[in-house]
Amino acid sequence: MRYDDMTEAIGNTPLVRLDPAVHGLVNIDLYAKMELLNPFGSVKDRAALQMIRPLLAGAAARGDTVVELSSGNTAKALALIAGMHGLPFKSVTNRMKVPEIKDLLLLLGAELDELPGQAECLDPTDTEDPLSRMHRTLSDNGSGYVHTDQYFNERNVEAHLHGTGPEIVKDLDGRAPDYFVACVGTAGSSTGVARALRQHDPDVRVIGLVAAKSDFIPGIRTIDEVHEVGLFDPGVYDTLETITSDDAIDGLLTLVRRCGTPAGPTGGGAYQGAVRHLRALDATLTSRKTAVFIVCDRVESYLSYLRDRRPALFGRPPATNDVRVLTADEIAAAPTVDVEEASRWPGLVIDLRNPHAYRALHIDGSINIVDELFAELLHGGLPFGRRQPVLLVCPVGEKSARYAALLLRMGHPEVRSLAGGVIAWRDAGARLVRD
Amino acid sequence: MTDSRPLELVPRIEPILQSVLAENALLRQLADGLGSPLNIVLPGALAANVESFRAVYRAHRLRGHIYFAHKANRSAALLRQLATTDAGVDVASLAELQHALGAGFTPDRVIATGPKNREFLWLAARTGVLVNADSLDELSELAALVAINRLPRVRVMVRLAGFAAPGVQLISRRSRFGVPFDQLTEVLGRLDKHAEQLELVGVAYHLDTIGLPEKAVALEGCLAALDECRNRGVPVWSVDIGGGFGVNYLAEAGQWERYTSELAQAVLGRRPPMTWNGHGYGLRNEAGTLRGALGLYPAYRPVSGPGYLDQLLTTLAPAQRRPLGELLLDSMIDLDIEPGRALLDQCGLVLARVLEVRTGSADLLVRLEMNARDVSLEEHGVLMDPVLVGAGDRPPEPTEVFLLGNLCLESDLITRRKVTLPARPRPGDLLAFVNTAGYFMDFSATRALHQPIGRKVALFRDGDRWSWCLDEQYWPVHERTEAA
Repeated sequence: MRYDDMTEAIGNTPLVRLDPAVHGLVNIDLYAKMELLNPFGSVKDRAALQMIRPLLAGAAARGDTVVELSSGNTAKALALIAGMHGLPFKSVTNRMKVPEIKDLLLLLGAELDELPGQAECLDPTDTEDPLSRMHRTLSDNGSGYVHTDQYFNERNVEAHLHGTGPEIVKDLDGRAPDYFVACVGTAGSSTGVARALRQHDPDVRVIGLVAAKSDFIPGIRTIDEVHEVGLFDPGVYDTLETITSDDAIDGLLTLVRRCGTPAGPTGGGAYQGAVRHLRALDATLTSRKTAVFIVCDRVESYLSYLRDRRPALFGRPPATNDVRVLTADEIAAAPTVDVEEASRWPGLVIDLRNPHAYRALHIDGSINIVDELFAELLHGGLPFGRRQPVLLVCPVGEKSARYAALLLRMGHPEVRSLAGGVIAWRDAGARLVRD
Repeated sequence: MTDSRPLELVPRIEPILQSVLAENALLRQLADGLGSPLNIVLPGALAANVESFRAVYRAHRLRGHIYFAHKANRSAALLRQLATTDAGVDVASLAELQHALGAGFTPDRVIATGPKNREFLWLAARTGVLVNADSLDELSELAALVAINRLPRVRVMVRLAGFAAPGVQLISRRSRFGVPFDQLTEVLGRLDKHAEQLELVGVAYHLDTIGLPEKAVALEGCLAALDECRNRGVPVWSVDIGGGFGVNYLAEAGQWERYTSELAQAVLGRRPPMTWNGHGYGLRNEAGTLRGALGLYPAYRPVSGPGYLDQLLTTLAPAQRRPLGELLLDSMIDLDIEPGRALLDQCGLVLARVLEVRTGSADLLVRLEMNARDVSLEEHGVLMDPVLVGAGDRPPEPTEVFLLGNLCLESDLITRRKVTLPARPRPGDLLAFVNTAGYFMDFSATRALHQPIGRKVALFRDGDRWSWCLDEQYWPVHERTEAA
C-alpha cells in the first residue's frame, strides 16, 4: 500500500474473531475491532483527523495553536497531525495521570498545561471552575487557538458513523452485530458506531461501559463524568454497566496473553465487560449471535499504571547483594564510627545522598554515589578493594548502616557507617564544604 | 436511575466524640444553662492528632515544627492544651500572637504569618518569634522597625509563590500572597542589605489546593531556593510548607459517592430536587449536559491529615525524581508545617436547639436556635448530617429535613440541602454538628440582629466522667479535684 501521508493509513482496521476457548461463549461469536492498529496507536486517530481537518487551513494561515482538553490518545493524535502541518499543539488537562503518556506528548513537541487541584479552603463566591474559564478563553475569536473540542464536537461522532461503524457491517458480510459493547470516554466512538449499526438494524443491543465512581481507567469516564460530556446521550445505550480497573486489567491480561492483542486498559475493560454481559445471555440463546467490542489502544503506554495496580506482574526475584535480604540483627550490628572518629578517617568516604544535596554541602574529601546507584553497583560485586577502608555517610546513619552491613556480608572487613549521619556531623559543628 | 432511599451523610465520629454525644443529660443541661447555639471543644483530643503528624515525621526521619494554624479556632482551651504538646502555633494577627504568648507558647514555638500591621511586626520582633514574610516590602518594614527600636535581630522566613514545573506547565490559582519565585535574587539582596536586622532561616510556601502535583512542584522549588541561599553563604535549614492537609469528615465512601451522583441527577432534572430551590452546588444543567464544577469540599477523604503529609513526602520530586522526603533529609532540611483543620479533627461540636418543626409543605422544615454563620459548614462546602442527640431512645425513622436559621433573612439556611436525621425531630430536641472545631465554629459567627454568638465550653475527663468549664477558664492543670 502506498500513501502520500500518514493520515491516509487511519481506519480500515481489521475485525478479528476471538477464540471461543479463551472467552468461553458458546452461542456468540465475539469480534474485536482492532483500533489499536491505527497509525498513531488508537481509535482517537479517526476523531482527531475528522475534527482537525476543516480547521487546518485557517490555523496554518493565522499561525494558530491547536488545542484540546485531553490527557491521552486524542492529544497524541492531534500532536502528530498538527506537527505534520507545522502547527504547535497544546493539551490542557485536569490531571496527567499516566506518566508515560505525559513524556510521550512532550517528546512529540506538545505543550502541556495542567489545571489546578480543588481549593482546600472553598471560596463560595468563585462559582466558576478552571475548566469552564479555560474553555471560554479558547473559544474567543482571535485567541490564537483552534479548539477541536472533542467532548462536544459532532465530527467526533461522524468519524465513527461514517468510518468505524460501516467497516464493522462490511466485515460481517453486510450484517450488523447483535451486540455492540463500548467503553464511554468522549462518547464519540460508542455513539457513532451505535448510530451506524442501528441504521442497518434497529435491534442492535448497545452496552455502554463506564468506570466505577472512585476508580480510574484511562480513557473511560465514571458514571458521574459522562454527564459532563456534550456528546453523551443516555438514549444511545440499552444499558450502562460499571467496570472496575481490576476488571480492565483482567481483560487486558487475557487479550495480551491469550489473544495476540497488545491492548491497553480500555480495550481490556471492553473485553471483560463484554464477556461478563454476554455470558449471562449465552446459556439462554437458541440461535447464533455476534458481538463486537473495540480495542481502543495499545498496552505499552500503561506500564506504570499496571505496575501501580498489579506489582506482582512485574515481580522479579531479589537481586544478589541486595539490602532487602539483610536481617535486622545484621543491620543493628553494622559497625559505626562517631563524628570524632570519622573526622580522622583514613580511607574512602562515600556520601549516599542525592547529587544536589551533596553539591550543596558535604564532608570534605568525600565522594558522592547516590544510594540507588550504589545499590546497582553492589549487585555486580564490590566496587573497591577489600583493603580499602570505606566510611559510608547518609542523612541520619540509617541507610549507611544497611549498606555497611551488606558490604560486611560481601566480605569487606574495613567498612563503617557514620552514626547519626551527616545531620549528626552538622549538629556537632564539624565542617561541611561546598565546591 | 433514581433511588428513593434517604441520602444520608453520616459524619465520622471517633470514640472520644462518641462518648461526649452519649452524655445526653450533660449536653441538655449545658444547652439549658448556657443557651443555643453552644460551642463545645475537646482539648483532650489534641494530643493524638499532634502525635499522628509526629509519627509521619519519624517514619521519614525528619525534624521540624508542627505549627497549629490558630485561625482555625479562637478557643483558649485548645491553645493552652496544645502548649502542653510539642506543637507550636502559627499566628496571623496581633491578637492571635498575644493569645499564643499568653497560652504558654514561648517565642521559639511561634511563627507569625499572613498580612501584618506594624504593631504585629513589633510584638513579633520584640518577643523574638519567627516572622514568615509575605513580601519584599514587609522585609524592609520589619528591618526598619528593628533598627529604629534597637530590637534584637529577627529570624525570618520568606514565603515564595509562582513556582515553575519542568516539562508540564502546572497552572496554579492566582494567590495574593508570597514573593514570586523569580524574584529570589532580589529577596536575597534585600536580606543582605538588612543583615544586621534580619536572619534568614528558611523559605516557605502555602498553596490553597488539595492537589499533590502542585505542592510537589512548590516543595522542589523551595529546595532549589534553599540551595541558592546556601550558595550565597546563608546557612538556611528549614522549609515551611504551610497547611492544607485536610480532614475526612464522613464515615462511609459509599454515602458520599451516592450523594454526589444523585445530586448530578437532580441538577439534570432526572430525580426530585435534594436542595433548596434546586441549588446545584456549582453544577448546572445546560441543554441536558452537566456543566460547572462541584463546589464542595471532598467530605469523604480517605487520604487526609497525616496521611496526606506522608503521601506528599513519598511523592517523587518532578525534576529530580526522588521522593521529596528523601530530598529534604539528604539536604538536612527541617520540615515545618502549619495544619489547622487537621489538628482539630474530632476536637469539638456545635449544639443547637430545635425551635419549630414545620409541616404543611412537601418538605419538613426545622428551625433552629442558631444561624448559618454559627456553624459555617455550608459556607465551606462541607456536607455532613447533624446528630440528633438522644435519637437512640426513639424508633428509627430516617427523616429528610431542611434546617432553617434564626435570622429574619431568606438566605439564612443552615443547610441548602436536605439533611437526614435518624428520627423525626421535635421542638426542644438538640442537634449536634460534630467535628466542627476547625473553621466552622467561631470563624464566621456574627451578632447580626442582636442574636447571641454561641458560648464556648471545654469538656474534659475528670476521672471516669466528663466535666466542663467555660473555655476561657480552662487551663491544662490536671487532677484539679484531687490536688486540693
